[in-house]
Amino acid sequence: MASSTMSSHLCGVLERMMRSSCCHVIRSRSCLGQAVLAPATSSVCVHGAPLLHRRAYSLDPLGPGRLSLAAGSQQPRSDRTPPSPSLTYRNLSAAAVKGQFRPLSRFDYLDLGKVEENIRRAQACKKRRHFIVNPDLANVVARHVAPDPQDTKSVIFECNPGPGVLTRTLLNAGAQRVVVLEGDRSFLHDLHELEGHLDGQLEVVYCDYFKLDPIGSGNVKPPTMFTDKLFTDLGMSEASWTDDIPVKVVGILPQRNERGMLLKMAYALFERLSVYRYGRIELNLFISEREYKKLVAQPGEMRYYRAFGVLWQMACDIELLHKEPWESFVVSSKQGVPSSKGMLPNDYLCLVRLRPRADLFSKGLTPSNASTLLMMIKQCLAKRKVKLIDRLNLWSPDSGSRLLSEMGLPEDILTGHVYPEEYLRLFQLMDKSQEFTQSWLYEEILENTQREGWA
Amino acid sequence: SDVQHAKVHFVKVPPFGRAFSSGGTHKGSPQEKPDIPKLGQTSSKGTKNTMATGTTHKTISSKAKQSRERLKLSEEIQAGVSSTTASIKASKKKQKDPKNTVPDRDGKGDTSQRSHLKPDAEGAACGDIQLSIRSYLEACIFIGDVERAQRFLLSQHRVRSRRKLLNTGVYNIMMRVWAKKGILNQIGRIFILLEEAGLKPNLGSYSAALECMGRNPNCSPKTSTRSCLNQMEEDGLTLDDLFSDCVFRRDEKDMLLKAIRAVEPGYEPRPHPLTDECPSPLVHHFYTQREQHSYPKLALSQEELLERFQQQLSVERACTVTIDSVETAKPVTENMRKMRELLAEQRTHWEKILHQALRESKLILANTNTRDYRLNLYPYLCLLEDGEYVDIMIQGVANMPPSGESLKVLARDLGHRVYTKYCVRQKFENQAVEKLGSIYSAYTELLAKDTKVSRVLPREQWTRLQMEQSSGPSLQGDDTSWPHIVTLELGTHLVDIMVKNLKINSDILNPSQDRKLIPILYHMYTFRSTRQVGFIKPHPILVQMQQEAMETRLTFDSYVMPMLCPPVPWTSVKFGAYLLTPTKLMRTVEGATQHEQLLEKSQHLEPVFDSLNQLGNCAWKINKPLLDIIISIFNDRGSDKLDIPPPMSEAPKIPHFNPQDPAYTASQKALMKREVINAKKKGSEMHSLRMDALYKLSIAHHMREETFWFPHNMDFRGRTYPCPPYFNHLGSDVTRAMLVFAEGKPLGPKGLDWLKIHLVNLTGLKKRSSLQGRLEYANSIMEDILNSADNPLHGRKWWMNADEPWQALACCMEIARAARSSDPAKFVSHFPVHQDGSCNGLQHYAALGRDVIGATSVNLVPCDVPQDVYSGVAQQVEELRARDARDGLKIAQVLEGFISRKVVKQTVMTVVYGVTRYGGRLQIEKRLKEIENFPKEHIWDASHYLVRLVFNGLKEMFTGTREIQDWLTESARLISKCGHTVEWVTPLGLPIIQPYHRTRNQVLKSSIQHINLQISHDSKERPDTVKQKNAFPPNFIHSLDSTHMMLTALHCYSAGLTFVSVHDCFWTHALTVDTMNKVCREQFVALHSQPILQELSDFLLHKYCSGTLEVQMKRPEAPPSGSSHFPNISFFSLFVSGLKPKAKSIRSTGG
Repeated sequence: MASSTMSSHLCGVLERMMRSSCCHVIRSRSCLGQAVLAPATSSVCVHGAPLLHRRAYSLDPLGPGRLSLAAGSQQPRSDRTPPSPSLTYRNLSAAAVKGQFRPLSRFDYLDLGKVEENIRRAQACKKRRHFIVNPDLANVVARHVAPDPQDTKSVIFECNPGPGVLTRTLLNAGAQRVVVLEGDRSFLHDLHELEGHLDGQLEVVYCDYFKLDPIGSGNVKPPTMFTDKLFTDLGMSEASWTDDIPVKVVGILPQRNERGMLLKMAYALFERLSVYRYGRIELNLFISEREYKKLVAQPGEMRYYRAFGVLWQMACDIELLHKEPWESFVVSSKQGVPSSKGMLPNDYLCLVRLRPRADLFSKGLTPSNASTLLMMIKQCLAKRKVKLIDRLNLWSPDSGSRLLSEMGLPEDILTGHVYPEEYLRLFQLMDKSQEFTQSWLYEEILENTQREGWA
Repeated sequence: SDVQHAKVHFVKVPPFGRAFSSGGTHKGSPQEKPDIPKLGQTSSKGTKNTMATGTTHKTISSKAKQSRERLKLSEEIQAGVSSTTASIKASKKKQKDPKNTVPDRDGKGDTSQRSHLKPDAEGAACGDIQLSIRSYLEACIFIGDVERAQRFLLSQHRVRSRRKLLNTGVYNIMMRVWAKKGILNQIGRIFILLEEAGLKPNLGSYSAALECMGRNPNCSPKTSTRSCLNQMEEDGLTLDDLFSDCVFRRDEKDMLLKAIRAVEPGYEPRPHPLTDECPSPLVHHFYTQREQHSYPKLALSQEELLERFQQQLSVERACTVTIDSVETAKPVTENMRKMRELLAEQRTHWEKILHQALRESKLILANTNTRDYRLNLYPYLCLLEDGEYVDIMIQGVANMPPSGESLKVLARDLGHRVYTKYCVRQKFENQAVEKLGSIYSAYTELLAKDTKVSRVLPREQWTRLQMEQSSGPSLQGDDTSWPHIVTLELGTHLVDIMVKNLKINSDILNPSQDRKLIPILYHMYTFRSTRQVGFIKPHPILVQMQQEAMETRLTFDSYVMPMLCPPVPWTSVKFGAYLLTPTKLMRTVEGATQHEQLLEKSQHLEPVFDSLNQLGNCAWKINKPLLDIIISIFNDRGSDKLDIPPPMSEAPKIPHFNPQDPAYTASQKALMKREVINAKKKGSEMHSLRMDALYKLSIAHHMREETFWFPHNMDFRGRTYPCPPYFNHLGSDVTRAMLVFAEGKPLGPKGLDWLKIHLVNLTGLKKRSSLQGRLEYANSIMEDILNSADNPLHGRKWWMNADEPWQALACCMEIARAARSSDPAKFVSHFPVHQDGSCNGLQHYAALGRDVIGATSVNLVPCDVPQDVYSGVAQQVEELRARDARDGLKIAQVLEGFISRKVVKQTVMTVVYGVTRYGGRLQIEKRLKEIENFPKEHIWDASHYLVRLVFNGLKEMFTGTREIQDWLTESARLISKCGHTVEWVTPLGLPIIQPYHRTRNQVLKSSIQHINLQISHDSKERPDTVKQKNAFPPNFIHSLDSTHMMLTALHCYSAGLTFVSVHDCFWTHALTVDTMNKVCREQFVALHSQPILQELSDFLLHKYCSGTLEVQMKRPEAPPSGSSHFPNISFFSLFVSGLKPKAKSIRSTGG
């Protein structure tokens, strides 16, 4: 990819230039206004405005060099420069798949809008949310999520896009089909407008992804929704677990009750409920650094090795795609950066990919016995410094020793020292044995429905 | 017990010297530092020398005058040492016993501490920790382990950070031990420790010193006693204070007197004159003008009462009661018999196992605790005999619900049982029980039928008797109640023993299974959101055995049963209700102490005591015919319609399926799983309902031939409650129906009419008819009434459709008997007739706001027919709905024909008590669900819609209410924002404080699990503004409500009426309904003739806005204009002349 290295170099220079110029721009409002009005300088303005959301140092495994799209996307629409190679690609593939072409006039990059305006609108949101407004950040995310040119099937669900910066960036990056699920009415109008300008690449649904499939009673009305309605409306049908990834979800996990959400989603995954009825849904979520650390905690980290981490590690390939400081996001409330209480650092939001393993439901685990596995894991990891054998004997007296030796684990191993894969294998062994199916553990699972533990 | 050891350890002083020099509690000059370590150094393991008086002197010389005086006392006491050597030697000899890892029991006589003394100002801040220290010391001393106590106190004292947690009372606990032993020099040392800690000796300290002198034949009265008295005087304490404020155990008081009389021959303590003056003008007449009063008497002779006292005493002494359940009547099947045998066998085995496990765990605890300053459970495990702990644990197994119990609850219950037993034992140790007997027997003279009439209230009588029989121990306990965390820790320890040791053979029920020893209880977690809750669950085998055995013996804590004799009258904050079982005057959140502190400070609680005593003195008996009918249904198949929970045999069967069976599809499995879940859920609900009913019925059955009493206490707003938790007159329709007054009174000319009106009220019909209308209605259905009474189960069953069917049936029977008697006016009835007292909070608001429209709709202003606010609101809601329906609102159309009084009633009633829209919606949702033909799919929307209409409607009808509520809320918000807790005093003088604070977490680390306690009542945390503000209006109204009830209770008592209350529903005999209504109305007017809001405003301003605070806090605005005025005369004259009592019953949901 020679072009990309070249453009990245170019871009680096460009960015430095902009950073220095932005200082001037910010000083005078009128100047900023002018800059916004003038198409030629609009890219400068985009970088310049955000004292509020300037991207601080970020840890991106892909490196800052991949800003080619950023440069490209800054091109104002009126400025008809020839599209970059990747853009051409997008149009070609779009044509190939859908068998239809967008009108020529729409071939241009979608304008990301004025940064200042986007910030204002994001901040006006009544709910406490984080927003991606910074185009660079949006680019980074888009690069991670946007499909390979070969992958033409998967749909992108973008959760709570707000002013739609990432949405446009995704489309610009060549996404074939983006569904935005926006839970706040105030953003809907503009999103619908965008939808109208496009030709089926974008669908806008008034829906909060993180409120899908509520447990309580009451009327379910948007933005709360049931998965089957959402998928039926989108014309998507249930898929086999081993099929390709049908949907990539991208978004920011709400800061309120992160862990509860993660637990709820893990339960749904194991029992193939909610979105997971439709196949292996891949999540690309920004979660707080603190929860991420717990999510990927390894056996032996007694403080942080928790049930929800074990479950996710068991079910998914987990990949840290990108780390971005909190300050780079626009927040619709005063306390943007969480207090850093606790032992774990929490300076970043981490973009984490959770891709369910295709072979999860082989070798004895099924969605119907998964609830027992969930219960077992939760019981085991409620305390990490207890002996696994004691737990096992509690469920089925005298069988702990046999199981452990079958597993090749030492007799005195602590529950906090067992790897997720080992837990899975342990469960498979238990599930096969007559003794355990008669144990109260199985009764217990039935009592404590899968819903317990949902937020 | 071990003076030798105690001394040795006392002497390990150097560390505390170090601690002293490293910071110094007093602003001492540097030159005194080197002196301090020398203080109190005696030989420790043969290394140190004895304390020299000279050293003490040196120290004194460098001190300020005041401390010099105090040290002089310790010096004097030291001087007494020479004369006490003999006694030391004597005790030394006694202590020469072998190393006592397990303490000898004979030391337990030395359980002398003084803890009731008010904590010093600086001490009060340490609350919980201090309480832990005290209860630990007291426990050590109770078990005779003086050495452990002494070591612990010193280790606390030595380190400055820990010393800060001590107060004089803590030191006094040790002093009291030494006083009991007559060892004066130890007391002297503790005086020095006090001085070092910068604390002042208080009454308790001096009392211990004097007691010790009294016990010491060689003590020279002229020097030590005299100087002690002088010192007291300088500290501003008088001898009379000593006798009126201290709590004495055993012969302490006599010793004290002996010591004092040695220097002041002929001294006689003069008790504080009884303060007759009650500041509240509301009860001024009640206390001062008694000529017209005729207090009611019991229908029992003094002899009978005394016999019952003895019975009650033995019940309480045992702490538990085992009674036959009503299921005894069922035939015993072969399987039941087998299971009972099996269980009994296992139980014997378990008892043995637990005995052993307990012994072992005690041994470990006794030996492993190396650090003296750490609190250790060991003493708490020695307070009772091992067998008693074992019984408590076995009881825990027997009462375990099949679905398990959270560890926290189980541990609390077990710990609390130990505490109760410990308190009862203490009373026996302190020899307070004999004295209780003698005072009680004199007290019965006031109540018995065969004694002369007097115009003395029970509390006054008791106080007088206590004063007359002043020698010997005080009756009033001074037990330190254990901090919640200690109770829990002890309980958790017991649970741990149970979980680890109680096992059963897995093949016990099914011999084909492999034999394994499996635990009968297991510890696991359930998960609520991201939290995990530790649970103790019984093994399915145990559950099966217990359910099949259907054991017919029930064991209860003794306080669960009603009392067999009239309760001890409340005479102080710490004394009243049961004979031995500790009872709190005010129920509080577990661990909250602010209420008690406030109560102890307040001077004029007499009216509150008197009304509680009055409620507790009402004698009850069982309505036997009704009980029999209920039991027959209960032992048959129950009846959901009549609120008799069916037996478990009626529970839905739990479907069985094999989840591995490939024949089922995934969705079939999911469906079956859900069925299983539902069946189990239903089963466990049914079980708890069934058990609750079983308890109530069994208690009633056990009491069927008795006369009994419910001692009362109150919550923090002054609402009164009977103490026995399951069976009482506050319960459901079923329980209420089983109770009648023990005393009968003739119906009198109007009694039968009142019974009939009462019956109509119970049916819930004719809500908008006048009393006359209701009476006419009752007369028109006499046939149904008589039929119900004669043939309740197989007749026309008219009663079954009443709102309160069982009470209605009981009333039918009473009417039938009365109507058929030769002269109904002379018919003796025991039946309680209910009248709604102040109706509800809306009345108080309307009266406070002088709100005439609102007042009319709640019957404060006369009308031809009783107004019914609920119907009024329903009507208004209906009008709004009709309008919306015409405008095409879908949900309004759906609701056509469904809006009734019943739908809105609960919400209207609770709005004034602060129900939110959220809660209101839930209430309405529940009502709508009850309507059979209401479309289920609309319930959600309809409830949302209706709650909005109800709230808006109320806002319009009660404008004044709104204003007052807003003012209260705003005041509370300002107070809370400034970091204060909202406090007020009811017109009757009861102090109230809202215990809502920001939550603090406390972790109890035990081996079984860490328990996280969320403490939201800690007064050191900032107040929780949202709660303070939202709860103030309803709490304030509740406090007025309770004041009104108390006033009514007092005045009914003086009129000789039988009176009890269920919050704002008042009960009396049919004969006296009119009198009670009159009293009730008069007291309502009297209460609201007080400038209540003005006084509240003054109180708040004075309390929160004085001095510097004024700067920080905006003054609460004056109360709304209309309400701060003095009573509008015409308003009240209307009220008094015209009000018809609104005779309606309130449902048991009222609380």
